[in-house]
Amino acid sequence: MLISYNWLQNYFEEKLPEPEKVAEEVTFHSFEVEEMDKVENDTIFDIKILPDRAHDCLSHWGVAKEISAIFDLEIKNKEYKTFTPKPTELKIEIQDNKCLRYMGRIVKNIKIGESPDWLKNKLNTIGQKSINNIIDAANFVMFDLGQPIHCFDLDKLESSKIIIRNGKIGEKITTLDKKEVNLDNSILIIADERDPLAIAGIKGGDKAEVDSNTKNIVIEVANFNPTTTRKTSKKIGISTDAVKRYENEITPELCEKVMNAITDMIYALAGGEMEEIVDIYPQKTEQRIVLISINYINKRLGSNFSKEEIESVWKKLNFGYKEKDKEFEIKIPFLRIDITGPHDLVEEVIRILGYNRIEEKLPKDGPWGNSLKDRPLINEIFYKMLWARNKLLTDGYSEIMTYVFRDKGEVEVLASASDKKFLRNNLSDGLKESIKLNQLNIPLLDMDEIKVFEIGTIFTKNGEEIHVAYGDKKEIKEINLDKFVNEKLSSEVHGYFSVEKFLVLGSTASQGTSEETSHSLTNSRPFKMWSLYPFITRDIAVWVPEGTAPEKLIEIYKSFGTELLIKEPKLFDSFTKIIDGKEKTSFAYRLVFQADDRTLTDEEINVIMTNITNKVLSLGFEVR
Amino acid sequence: MEENQKGKEHPLSIVINDAVKIFTDLGFEVASGPELEDEWHNFDALNMPKDHPARDMQDTFWIKGQNGKVLRTHTSNVQIRYMENLTRSGKKPPFAVISIGKCFRNEATDATHEMQFYQIEGLMIGEDISMANLKGILSHFYKKMLGEDTNLRFRPSFFPFTEPSIEFDLKYKGNWIEMGGAGMVHPKVLENCGIDGSKYQGLAFGPGLERLMVIKYIMPDIRPAYHGDLRFNQI
Repeated sequence: MLISYNWLQNYFEEKLPEPEKVAEEVTFHSFEVEEMDKVENDTIFDIKILPDRAHDCLSHWGVAKEISAIFDLEIKNKEYKTFTPKPTELKIEIQDNKCLRYMGRIVKNIKIGESPDWLKNKLNTIGQKSINNIIDAANFVMFDLGQPIHCFDLDKLESSKIIIRNGKIGEKITTLDKKEVNLDNSILIIADERDPLAIAGIKGGDKAEVDSNTKNIVIEVANFNPTTTRKTSKKIGISTDAVKRYENEITPELCEKVMNAITDMIYALAGGEMEEIVDIYPQKTEQRIVLISINYINKRLGSNFSKEEIESVWKKLNFGYKEKDKEFEIKIPFLRIDITGPHDLVEEVIRILGYNRIEEKLPKDGPWGNSLKDRPLINEIFYKMLWARNKLLTDGYSEIMTYVFRDKGEVEVLASASDKKFLRNNLSDGLKESIKLNQLNIPLLDMDEIKVFEIGTIFTKNGEEIHVAYGDKKEIKEINLDKFVNEKLSSEVHGYFSVEKFLVLGSTASQGTSEETSHSLTNSRPFKMWSLYPFITRDIAVWVPEGTAPEKLIEIYKSFGTELLIKEPKLFDSFTKIIDGKEKTSFAYRLVFQADDRTLTDEEINVIMTNITNKVLSLGFEVR
Repeated sequence: MEENQKGKEHPLSIVINDAVKIFTDLGFEVASGPELEDEWHNFDALNMPKDHPARDMQDTFWIKGQNGKVLRTHTSNVQIRYMENLTRSGKKPPFAVISIGKCFRNEATDATHEMQFYQIEGLMIGEDISMANLKGILSHFYKKMLGEDTNLRFRPSFFPFTEPSIEFDLKYKGNWIEMGGAGMVHPKVLENCGIDGSKYQGLAFGPGLERLMVIKYIMPDIRPAYHGDLRFNQI
């Protein structure tokens, strides 16, 4: 959510720390500040509010409360104007329990118009467009306090009665942005005595739209069931800032404060006569009480916090509490729907005191103590995979991992971000592609022949299965992991050991790896990314007098080959023959050239080869 | 041709085997579970009910024509299966288990994200396994993997199956690098598997392994890992 630094500042008498400091501390105590943008004389934070804090922190007020707790700064007391409201004719009827609370208020004789600059500017900094003073006020209060608000034009209603009911099949509503939505009885709507006015908690309709001629309005501050709001939003494909707040659940207790705030603001911006609030709240939310002991907190955290430190957290978070028989009895604020038990309060304690207070302790006794003796430490599947892998590596096969997603198969995924929608039903297809690719690159690979294997899961109509596939350019074999292990094992040990016995024997070694596979723990030679440009190979065969060391040639190739020669010259043929009565040896080397930044041309390699040839000739050798 | 030229290992596989070794040396046992999973083990049992916004945190691959089946979005499904089996066989904590396996997220790929990736899942439950133990174990693991000159820090986060939940960063060669998520197992998750959440407590973690491979070997891009290109097997 976008949060303005200046907007936050309005909550405090004291000057806030610099934006950078705020961002850092918020990240380490509350939630991640993903971005920070300087805009004119303000700073806009993009804060990643996760679902647990979407109940109370999708608002400037929510973030201000966090800042208050983190920096121990007091939030200014906000007083709303008190009115002597006029009697009202507004009637509200809730026909379905998906509506948890509905507060309505009529305001008559407002002056609709443009918003003042400060308001336009504030909305603008968090990416909201200004529409008119009424709509802007509703938006402002939502981003300020986290509660969606809707306003209807009273004169466009059939009567002064608002009904919250389910839609009917065949009924339609056109939204404010002119999208037609077909209703049904799973969709909760706000209606007058004839027509739908809004899709509850999601989007307003055009029938009672507030426009430039509006004089009298109904303000709606309501609360709807999070799950059904979310389902409806998905079903009709409309997501709004209101949906985001309702689907994450906000407390119906918030309505009152928000109704006061929006009334205040509308009065300040558009004047008007305030009528009495009509409040239908069928089942009042109970305030949650959670008991927690200091011992419980320290046991879970592995810490040693004092009573005073823990108490300071309740104070900073403004939680009501009292002490009772060595326990704290915490009154959880209504907005903190995320706190349901003592485990949640542990998180409050440590994030406010700071995760840097947690020490690093390896457990001394416990799971790896005596109590584990009767449990097998060996996982059969993992061990078999490991065994198969080592067997194939020893037999000269190199290991590959390929994509599970392919363009054909028996199991298909829905709505993939990729065009490959099927799960592989074999490993051989991937292996084949790998062999083809590597065969072309063989001069780059220091390998005489391409032999590869993969161990992985395949998916068929009957479920998933772990396969082993291995092969070369002539043949690929693919087999179920269990079968592979059984076959290879029995042929090796002449059937003397059963797989079970083998696994038991295996368990005396450390599960997992042999010493040689763990070489990476000590060796960390950096990885070198290869060039994406094509390589060129050239062969050169030279007659040298018998007894001449081939290193002499290699030296020449390397120094005249320039940095474009990327591999150690590879000897692929040599033989000795008597020529003109002298014993001579022919050495044939393959040279591989490649550049990191371009496709090489034959011409530039020809130049290099000419230089090499000249040098070889100058030493009295003969190029074949 | 040399008859016994040994095949070359895939770097990710090296990292996986090293990780297994480090954790089994600490007394963890290895567990495994399916990649094609049902909603209960991938979501519900992990305190992510249907129609809850927390499910949006993970872009999920749903299987066509198989209602309620998903490609697992994390290895946490193995936690649930392991604990269910434990309870079924009449056993109780303490225990410590790791599971390394392929996971899937339905999102666009780039140099640091793939639709398939490896996660290493750790779970340790006892009567007094604490957050300090979580920090101790993770720190031990990364020091073994990357050397003593590494540092760990925690940041608040949210996962439905842990409380408190954290993200952890690793300081390596002077930079802080985001490594993954972890936390204390949510009592509801234990209860969902038949374990007394008021008596037992413990830790869970689930960092990705590609990130570790990439920083260990200084790789610019994770994508070649799955191209079957043997130039990748150079470690």
